[in-house]
Amino acid sequence: MSFLKKVANYAQEALDAANYLTQGLAVTFDHLRRRPITVQYPYEKLIPSERYRGRIHYEFDKCIACEVCVRVCPINLPVVDWVMNKDTKKKELRNYSIDFGVCIFCGNCVEYCPTNCLSMTEEYELSTFDRHSLNYDNVALGRLPTSVTSDPSVRPLRELAYLPEGSMDPHNVDSLKPRAGKLPAEIIQGLKETDSFSEDKQELVDDSENLDTLGSD
Amino acid sequence: MSAGLDLEFSFSQVLQGLGLTPQLAHLLWLPLPMLLVLVAAVIGVLVTVWLERKISAAAQQRIGPEYAGALGILQPMADGLKLLVKEDVIPAKADGMLFTLGPVLVLVPVILSWLIVPFGQNLLISNVGVGVFLWIALSSIQPIGLLMSGYASNNKYSLLGGLRAAAQSISYEIPLALSVLAVVMMSNSLSTIDIVDQQNGAGLLSWNVWRQPVGFVIFWICVLAECERLPFDLPEAEEELVAGYQTEYAGMKFALFYLGSYINLVLSALLVSVLYLGGWGFPIPVEWMASWLGQEVDTPVIQVFTASIGISMTILKAYLLVFLAILLRWTTPRVRIDQLLDLGWKFLLPISLVNLLATAALKLVFPVAFGG
Repeated sequence: MSFLKKVANYAQEALDAANYLTQGLAVTFDHLRRRPITVQYPYEKLIPSERYRGRIHYEFDKCIACEVCVRVCPINLPVVDWVMNKDTKKKELRNYSIDFGVCIFCGNCVEYCPTNCLSMTEEYELSTFDRHSLNYDNVALGRLPTSVTSDPSVRPLRELAYLPEGSMDPHNVDSLKPRAGKLPAEIIQGLKETDSFSEDKQELVDDSENLDTLGSD
Repeated sequence: MSAGLDLEFSFSQVLQGLGLTPQLAHLLWLPLPMLLVLVAAVIGVLVTVWLERKISAAAQQRIGPEYAGALGILQPMADGLKLLVKEDVIPAKADGMLFTLGPVLVLVPVILSWLIVPFGQNLLISNVGVGVFLWIALSSIQPIGLLMSGYASNNKYSLLGGLRAAAQSISYEIPLALSVLAVVMMSNSLSTIDIVDQQNGAGLLSWNVWRQPVGFVIFWICVLAECERLPFDLPEAEEELVAGYQTEYAGMKFALFYLGSYINLVLSALLVSVLYLGGWGFPIPVEWMASWLGQEVDTPVIQVFTASIGISMTILKAYLLVFLAILLRWTTPRVRIDQLLDLGWKFLLPISLVNLLATAALKLVFPVAFGG
């Protein structure tokens, strides 16, 4: 009797295995009809998010050679080459360079620059044949990268979080259609319009507004 | 069954008309089907490689090869060309002789097995009386080549891969042979032609898969194991063994392994369709259709039509199975070596023995349905 039970169990297990295998095959088969989610890179590119930390842009004329960027840098990377002009008693900036082969793109220098002469760009294509050519001087740092959206040879694609509500595929999306959800400014606008609007809330919103303007700098 | 299209007969008729002896005509005929089948096998491999890459890409929501020819159709050619011009490296401490012989021993039996693959009543190289048995015997040579290349590489990954390949081939050969034996018992012949003929009495309904469902599943599992396809690809499990017995191979020697594994896959799919899915048979027998249309089966037009339907049905069935194998590749996880041997010896072997005995019993009880 126990032998028959064993055989029955064995057969049941085999049938279960076959069942699970069929389920798995159905899942794989279903994937065949889905659209590829890959980005065809040199021809299509994702639009980097507005907070993307890419190659650093630098404006020579704004710089006061204070070296704050050097001090906040984890490895003291920016090289600020200045001399003291004895006559005017002012710093005279000669050269400024950052080696992007060493930079970790933490953004501390951008954060702390008192004159906002440093900023993050959306450039991420930094491959070179020689690592020394990643050492950008103030001329190279002053160049603006080609935007993905303005490059005629590239088809810009929005990232998933930036797609309009309901659409999952960045192809064939109207470029004027706004992303799903509200922008911070729109949320604040909505809060202002509500009737029950107390004083402390006002304060809170002011704070967030300030934060928002800081962030968008 | 009608004789069908007989190209050899017509060919030797023409040559004898030119005044040649029948022997000479036969000699001139022999290289033609061989070359044709070799070319067909290689093209089959190219198509399979392309399908594998495209279907794998689709299963992973990628695009796959796209720029080499339309839809990347030339990608396998580019792969082959790359392997052709690559440097042929033999490791310093390897046994050069055995290292070179290994891939040859893997590829040659597989190509030789195409001898018995029928595409129609007379559309095969040779109707060998021992047909499927020849295939089983030839496929037993393969593990020797695998073990040889694994051992000769003088590399622990290669050795482990070679040993695993040998263990796998040997343990899956037995249930494979037993399930073939059940089919052979029903058709009273080892010849692939007779096996297909016996299945095509009533079209789709008389295919062996209905009479041998268990045998079909066992055969398919064993064939996947013999081809080292994914649930059973542990001889070349890249996470553990780099590339198994192929680790030290590069260039043309690696290409031989690559070619061998894909020719073997196509061959196995063809043999599954021959043994279980009615070979070249259309789901509705062509003879019936011809008689409904009031045509004689022996008229040349109908013969050519039948032959082309036969070839396309064989290829269609084989490629559906190849598709299933690729789908299985992206569905099933790899089994461990102990699970592999457990499945082979403790599950497939007893089941295939029971299947064989049940077939024998059914043949005695219902000789009409089970080929008495």
